[in-house]
Amino acid sequence: MSERVYLLPLWIRLWHWTNALLIITLTITGVSLHFADPKLPLVEFSLAARIHDLAGLALVAAYGFFVIANIVSGNWWQYVPKPPGILDRCMKQARWYLWGIFKGEPHPYPVTLEVNFNAMQALIYWFIMYLMMPTLLITGLIFMFPQFAPDRVFDMDGLLPVAVLHYLTGTVIVLFMIAHMYLGTTGHTVTTMFKTMITGWHEH
Amino acid sequence: MRVSGYRYLIALLLIGWGCPALAASDAPVDQTTIEMNRKANEACYACHSAAGIAKPPKADIDMSKLKDSRLEPTIYNPSDHGVMDCRECHSKTHYTDYPHAEAGKSETVGCTACHAAKVLRLEPQFNASVHAKVQGVKEKFTCFTCHNPHINIVQKRLQDPAKIVAQDNHGCLECHNSSEMFAKFAPEGEKTPGLKKLRPDIDTIHDWLPNAKAHWQSVRCIECHTPEVAENKMLSHEILDKEKSEKKCLSCHSANSTLKARLYRHMVKDEQQKYGFTNSVLLSNSYIIGATRHPLLDSIIIALVIATLLGVLLHGAIRIVMSLRRKKEESQ
Ligand code: HEC
Ligand code: HEC
Ligand code: HEC
Ligand code: HEC
Ligand code: HEC
Ligand code: HEC
Ligand code: HEC
Ligand code: HEM
Repeated sequence: MSERVYLLPLWIRLWHWTNALLIITLTITGVSLHFADPKLPLVEFSLAARIHDLAGLALVAAYGFFVIANIVSGNWWQYVPKPPGILDRCMKQARWYLWGIFKGEPHPYPVTLEVNFNAMQALIYWFIMYLMMPTLLITGLIFMFPQFAPDRVFDMDGLLPVAVLHYLTGTVIVLFMIAHMYLGTTGHTVTTMFKTMITGWHEH
Repeated sequence: MRVSGYRYLIALLLIGWGCPALAASDAPVDQTTIEMNRKANEACYACHSAAGIAKPPKADIDMSKLKDSRLEPTIYNPSDHGVMDCRECHSKTHYTDYPHAEAGKSETVGCTACHAAKVLRLEPQFNASVHAKVQGVKEKFTCFTCHNPHINIVQKRLQDPAKIVAQDNHGCLECHNSSEMFAKFAPEGEKTPGLKKLRPDIDTIHDWLPNAKAHWQSVRCIECHTPEVAENKMLSHEILDKEKSEKKCLSCHSANSTLKARLYRHMVKDEQQKYGFTNSVLLSNSYIIGATRHPLLDSIIIALVIATLLGVLLHGAIRIVMSLRRKKEESQ
């Protein structure tokens, strides 16, 4: 019989699914905007722009909530990879993803209430949530209020670096999201981790 | 057909006899004549300039009527007509003294006198415009309603797209953004007999266009309100009503943007795919979503996404195969 531990409070779960839904929406509409072409069956341009703007603002709000709730609850500590031996633990985790998992070996760093993320997860989540997300949100906001963009950069329009940075950070987050969704299937069974994110209870 | 043939004859007559007699044409002007003209114009700037208005040569002149005038050698000289003597358009005889003779007003030369061939081509378009269809509006609408002959510079000479947009939109917004000016031209309102039709707010009319203000800064009204014409033809002067105006975002926001044949038509021949961007002439002035593309970067990003998807699928497939093998081994 497996052990159960109540791992994820309601606010994290609500935030997580809001965040997921918004990012998927932003990805679909963002692609429709960037690759706009009469021959491609994407979301119609003005509809895509409208949805992208609304979902973008909602994501800014969700992120603000995330940061504040993390500070208040102390959950931010989970995102800090703790020495000593961060690199060793990352290597061990990577080895498990590339090898151990195929052999049916157990997780090298099982989840506990105190340590939810393994070192590799902590590092990547930290990179995504505290570096990529703010960059994406800020460039998105400047895109929305272009009067805050630099006037000119070299001999080009000042919105260019903002747009390119937005595009690149958006891409990193989409790549992360694909890997993240897949790694969600690497729990005890394929669905355990998804269930945890819905009920809050973690099974070993 | 017969009408235009008739027009053509008139134009030929004008070009053939009329113009040499008036010494009027739009042929390029040589340097000595330009200098001569500019010297002659100094007599007018004594009053017709900011400095002149502030300090007229004679004390008792009422300069209040000139307060809206934007005449100034620094503005006039670079303009399309800056090579000309003022008196080629304003009467030769009535403006030498002040007060000016009353007859001068009625002798101002119209555009046709010098631009007969262009007017011939533009007039049918002008006559098909929204402004030429409404009773009460069309009577007041002439070429200089939009063209300030002292200031305007034609697109291919002005070059900088931001300046072209500012100049050409100013021509439209002078009325469409000012209730006072609009009322001078507007017809009677249907719901308000005896009163002028109220000016619809320009941002409200275009509320389907996100960030309309950003658009007014970077494209012209005529981009959407005139039919497209071939690159080597003059821009159409048929201002379109709301049914025929361009509403499709993709006409600008796509790789094959029509802006190349409109606002940027004078620049497309210099397209060099700067830094690997397609439509980099547009980028000189605006980042335009959908039109500004970097094919190499796009390919790399698409490849990364595909690689990640394939990687994940492969990983999953190996997991399934290995777990099946383990199950088989366990059961044996
Ligand atoms: C001594 C000052 C003075 C000088 C010099 C002068 N003007 Fe004027 N002009 C005025 C004033 C004041 C007005 C506005 C009041 C009025 O209409 O009389 C005016 C009005 C005009 C107008 C508009 C009204 C109309 O009659 O059509 C034109 C056109 C004009 N001037 C052209 C010229 C030209 C061309 C010259 C140079 C050859 C010139 N002026 C020299 C003072 C001057
Ligand atoms: C290409 C023809 C042309 C040239 C050249 C030209 N004008 Fe004009 N000007 C016009 C027309 C057309 C009007 C407008 C008449 C109307 O609105 O009824 C006008 C209006 C004016 C007015 C009255 C409105 C105002 O802006 O204050 C003044 C004053 C004037 N011109 C002065 C000048 C002076 C001074 C010069 C030379 C520096 C000059 N113009 C050169 C065509 C010309
Ligand atoms: C007295 C003659 C004359 C009159 C009247 C006149 N123009 Fe011109 N126009 C010229 C000359 C000369 C040029 C300069 C041609 C050059 O530099 O190559 C010119 C240039 C232009 C240009 C830019 C050249 C181009 O490529 O098309 C425009 C636009 C223009 N005029 C419009 C007008 C309008 C509108 C009117 C009536 C308000 C008008 N002009 C009245 C003589 C005139
Ligand atoms: C509703 C406003 C409006 C009216 C009225 C108008 N024009 Fe224009 N015209 C414009 C605009 C805007 C442009 C574009 C200027 C540019 O940037 O080159 C233009 C351009 C031109 C050009 C240069 C075209 C080219 O592609 O080289 C000529 C010549 C011209 N107009 C002549 C006229 C004549 C003649 C009349 C009167 C029959 C007239 N215009 C009436 C707004 C107007
Ligand atoms: C001198 C003032 C004036 C200028 C300049 C002017 N307009 Fe207008 N415009 C009007 C008036 C007045 C109407 C008539 C409104 C009506 O009939 O309801 C009108 C009507 C229109 C309409 C149709 C609106 C309707 O309700 O049917 C369009 C579109 C339009 N203008 C676009 C333009 C564009 C584009 C330019 C510049 C190239 C321009 N206008 C320049 C005064 C102006
Ligand atoms: C992106 C394309 C675009 C641009 C740029 C644009 N318009 Fe429009 N405009 C339209 C369309 C499309 C409509 C019809 C809207 C509708 O169906 O309600 C319209 C409607 C109008 C109307 C009302 C017409 C009517 O019959 O009710 C006016 C007036 C007008 N525009 C003037 C302007 C002026 C002035 C500018 C420049 C500042 C401008 N437009 C720029 C596309 C554009
Ligand atoms: C006439 C050409 C044209 C048309 C038509 C047009 N746009 Fe644009 N649009 C532009 C240009 C040029 C810019 C770049 C503005 C700048 O310089 O920042 C732009 C910018 C934008 C932006 C970004 C503004 C920002 O916040 O930086 C959005 C969103 C947008 N357009 C949406 C639309 C939608 C939706 C439509 C159709 C309903 C549309 N546009 C139709 C030319 C056009
Ligand atoms: C995962 C999340 C996101 C992705 C994948 C994404 C992607 C994109 C892409 C590809 C574009 C087209 C730009 C171009 O052609 O270069 C775009 C435009 C834009 N994005 Fe985002 N974006 C995301 C989040 C956001 C957020 C959070 C905001 C707001 C704060 C935002 C605001 C904008 C704005 C304003 C534009 C301009 C078009 C418009 O106004 O609709 N985006 N985005």
